[in-house]
Parts: sequence; structure tokens; C-alpha cells
Amino acid sequence: MFTTRRGLLVGAAVLTAAGCTGQTGQIITADADLTAALRTARALAQGAEALGYNEIAEDHRTHAATLERLLRPSSVSEQEAEAPADAAALADAETAGSAEAAEACMTTQSDYAVLFGEIAASRAAHAAVIA
Amino acid sequence: MTAIDTGLAAEYAAIYAYGAAAVHLDGDPRERAEALESEHRSRRDVLLDHYAAAGADAPPPEPSYDVGVIGDAATAQELLTTVEESVATTWRAGVAASDPEERQLCLDMYSAAAVALARWRLAVGQAVADPWPGRPE
Repeated sequence: MFTTRRGLLVGAAVLTAAGCTGQTGQIITADADLTAALRTARALAQGAEALGYNEIAEDHRTHAATLERLLRPSSVSEQEAEAPADAAALADAETAGSAEAAEACMTTQSDYAVLFGEIAASRAAHAAVIA
Repeated sequence: MTAIDTGLAAEYAAIYAYGAAAVHLDGDPRERAEALESEHRSRRDVLLDHYAAAGADAPPPEPSYDVGVIGDAATAQELLTTVEESVATTWRAGVAASDPEERQLCLDMYSAAAVALARWRLAVGQAVADPWPGRPE
């Protein structure tokens, strides 16, 4: 097909431009468990901050920052969460968030079981001290 | 040793430490220490049931544990903070277990340990927020 040096170079350029470079293609999809954990972390951070639990809100922001880093190059848009009515509602939300992360810890196919376990444990501790 | 063996050893050590330290405490820390000692005993019993159900022999506790010299309430509080952190660290490591039943048990114990750590810190006036309970520094 490419019998001359020029023909070989042009052919290589055409193949490269067409994406035929021999490298394996990679479909990038966001991990559903990481995405769910990030959305919950952001919502809990907003809720804790609204009720004045600033140190607990900071824990959730730390979780969110780690989850955002692990999800790159995907990104998850910020959403406004409805603030909990009171401390009891926030504790309930922490408990639900802990259960969500614990479920992810047990079912994840990724290497993030310990990360989800840490988030579940941290949220359970928040619920206990808020209640 | 399995992760559960290691966790049971941590629970034995915690029970021993509470037994040695609680007598030096008063007020809220004393009440919380007694409640937490009871929780550690309950967790130990759950673990012993786990071994019994599996038809396996549970590792026994050591005759004693090195808890240092406990001369006052401050030393006792410091010891029990270290103990709770150590228990959380031990169970956290077990969450990496590939066996689902072992991972579930370690996760349950880890969450309970994180709650205990937060309650103890609250009782002795320390900051309770911790994004990664038991994670080694």
C-alpha cells in the first residue's frame, strides 16, 4: 500500500488522525457509588453548616473533595439541598448517609471499599453526637 | 490471624484498659467510660458468638496488657482515647477483607468503634469531628 517513504509517512499520518494508533480506547464513566457518595456529602455539608455544626460540615467537605478527585475527569454538578429542620433531622440524614456508604462498601466492585467504610463510620459518628 | 482475630484482640485489650482506667475518672467521663466498657464487652460477645457459629475456637485474651502507669484522671483519659483510636484503626483495616461475611462484620464493628470514639472524645471535651476515623496518621 505505502511503497514509498513519502507514502508511508502520509499513510501513518492518516491512520493517526483517524484514531488508529494501536492504543486501547477507554470509555470514561463515573462510578455510581462515588457519585452518590459525593452528592450526599455535599448535601450533608450544607445541612450541617445551616445548623451551625461547622466541624461536621468540614468533615463532609473533606469527603467531597476526596470523592471529586477520584471521579476525575468526570464532574458532578453542585445542587442546592433542602436544609434539615433541626438537629434530629440532620442526625437522621447522617444515619441514612451512613447506610448508603455502608451499602456501597459491601457491594462496590472497585478498590474503594475502605473509603466507603470510612465515610459510613464518620457519618454514623456524626449521627451519634448530634442526636 | 484473620481481621476478626485482630479485632477481637483489640476488644479484649480495650476491656482490660477500661477496667484499669475508669476508677480514676469522675463525672461524665466516668459514666461514659463505664458505658463504653459495657459496649466493648457486648462486641466481644458478638465476636465469640461468631466463632461459635463457625465451629471455630476464638483466640483467648492475654492474662494482662501493658497500660502503663495510671496515676490520675488525665492519664486515664489519655489512655482511653488511645485505646478507642486503636480499636477503630484495627476494625478499619478489616473492612478491606475480600470475604463478604468478614467484611460485613468488620464494617459493623468499625462503625460502632467510630461512634464510641466520638462519644468518648465528646465526654472528655475533645473535638469529635473526624472525616477518617481510625485512619493511621
